[in-house]
Amino acid sequence: MAKHVPTANGTEMTGATSLVKSLEAAGVEVMFGLPGGAILPAYDPIYDSTIRHILVRHEQGAGHAATGYAQVTGRAGVCIATSGPGATNLVTPLMDAAMDSVPLVAITGQVPSAAIGTDAFQEADIRGITMPFTKHNYLVTNPDEIPGVIAEAFHIATTGRPGPVLVDIAKDALQKMTTYNWPTSIKLAGYNPRTTPDAQAITDAAALIAQSSKPVFYVGGGVIKANAHADLRQLVELLGGPVVTTLMARGAFPDSHPLHMGMPGMHGTVAAVTALQKADLLITLGARFDDRVTGKLSTFAPNAKILHADIDPAEIGKNRHADVAVVGDVKETIAALIPALKAALAKNKPDLTAWLRQMNSLKSTYPLGFDTPDDGSLSPQLVIQRLGQISGTDTIFTAGVGQHQMWASQFISYEHPRTWLNSGGAGTMGYGVPAAMGAKVGAPDTTVWAIDGDGCFQMTNQELVTCALNNIPIKVAIINNESLGMVRQWQTLFYDSRYSNTSLDSKRVPNFPMLAESMGCVGLSCERPEDLDKTIEKAMSINDQPVVVDFRVHRDAMVWPMVAAGTSNDEIMIARATAPDWDSQEL
Amino acid sequence: MTTSRRQHTLEVLVENEPGVLARVAGLFSRRAFNIETLNVGPTEDSSISKMIIGVAVEGHSLEQVIAQLDKLVSVISIKDVTPKAKEVHDTQPDYQN
Repeated sequence: MAKHVPTANGTEMTGATSLVKSLEAAGVEVMFGLPGGAILPAYDPIYDSTIRHILVRHEQGAGHAATGYAQVTGRAGVCIATSGPGATNLVTPLMDAAMDSVPLVAITGQVPSAAIGTDAFQEADIRGITMPFTKHNYLVTNPDEIPGVIAEAFHIATTGRPGPVLVDIAKDALQKMTTYNWPTSIKLAGYNPRTTPDAQAITDAAALIAQSSKPVFYVGGGVIKANAHADLRQLVELLGGPVVTTLMARGAFPDSHPLHMGMPGMHGTVAAVTALQKADLLITLGARFDDRVTGKLSTFAPNAKILHADIDPAEIGKNRHADVAVVGDVKETIAALIPALKAALAKNKPDLTAWLRQMNSLKSTYPLGFDTPDDGSLSPQLVIQRLGQISGTDTIFTAGVGQHQMWASQFISYEHPRTWLNSGGAGTMGYGVPAAMGAKVGAPDTTVWAIDGDGCFQMTNQELVTCALNNIPIKVAIINNESLGMVRQWQTLFYDSRYSNTSLDSKRVPNFPMLAESMGCVGLSCERPEDLDKTIEKAMSINDQPVVVDFRVHRDAMVWPMVAAGTSNDEIMIARATAPDWDSQEL
Repeated sequence: MTTSRRQHTLEVLVENEPGVLARVAGLFSRRAFNIETLNVGPTEDSSISKMIIGVAVEGHSLEQVIAQLDKLVSVISIKDVTPKAKEVHDTQPDYQN
């Protein structure tokens, strides 16, 4: 690839060339996109650019691929599309990135400025449409503004709480001549995220922790975003308190660590859910009290004081009052908290022995588990567990949304940050394959497995064509239970087993291995437990092509434990109509 | 029924750019905050507009309204300019009812 040579300010060029030069100046190496009329002027200079443009088969694939790339690399992902339907196909990935705080820059073409507002061909008000779920967005009609807007877009997307930014550019602004002028500094009167925590708040936080006898580290995805995993481990080991990692934080703290109680929430472990419920202090780091974690909010962690550290001031007190709030970058916060806590513990070190004994008792009494089907069919949880064990802890896993996602968060051991990518806040079915594509582009030497459901896979599998043709050899495990499995589980539990529109009918239509082969991938299938390991090993041995494995699994497996929607975490069930035996627990 | 509503007046300086009113109005709408009154006008700096927003706070805190407003990149500053003693006990029926 040609080395990027910075373009001198003051050079005359078209707005389109100015856009591409600006993206290069912003450090973009890869973008995912698909051209069309309004964005077409930009695709001409893209032809000559040092930026690798990956031509997707659907703009939604471009958006999730950019997200996967961003989640793995920590840098902004970039996607590009044309006006109207091209832009609206980015709506779901933008909303997804907003919910999971992913730095994303989306570039869209817009109809010529004179046609805006006339219901022109392929005109959509994408700036208006995306206002609710972009961190900021722009409509550019003056080509002179392009470099400044692109610089701002990357600045906003990647600083503070990361998020998506959309830049919509009118076609005539791309076509007109302009003078390239990359800004030397960015000044935004209304945007100045606070990263350094307040010293008094740190002192108060340390004092609160030192007074607690039942603390829990409630760790969210912000810890991964801030690259604070190593700092977190230091802090945890300093105090010696139990840790829970949310769905977005899997990998922020090693699963193998004895202080790790697992994932809290709707499908969390008994130990993690109970730790939050019985705690006298939640040390909340980069987490946002999401309803999937808290269950019924009024009964969540009823005895706990709340220490809430977050980069986003609007998260403080949004769902739960914070007794001590620390606004700032969570890495800086933890770094400041460690010496402050050392000082506080030197005066008063609480004895956490009894608390840890209770938590460890729950952890050992109620480990995650699953039943092996007695008809000899394949258990979905076993497939996912063996994938994790055989592929190893350096593997990057992505998931769609549903049962397979929950099992992938439960039965794979995550030891490192940025190895678990999923659609947590948005719950976007179809996230898995394109996110894996983006992840593999960002980490080409790492094995990337998409664990997908048969429902999810049918939403975005077209990107396997992109993978096959662009040397992006991802691996896909379809957990094929011929159902929309999680919805079916709810129908089993809450709708009297009336399976309205959740059956995908057949394990043979579509024929996933044949579909995979037709898209330039290797297609494998497995339906007997005795073939499981050798099928995974075969998939692991193929590294020059994408591989799709159709795991035809038992249909009636359910995700447990479960806190039913709208109920209290105290009503956690470990199996159908089975609560933990609280009487035998010392709590 | 007597409902306790707290009315606040916020003075919000925003970038004078197309779409800024939609950004603010959309935020109030999607977060279920209530705008009672809204007045938008120029300032001596032509790049900045001033919004005077009357907010009825119910079921969420004023801090949350201000924090969410402050997240808008186009919002430069927010000042609570509520006159003192503005705790209102609304015993009147709502206009809609």
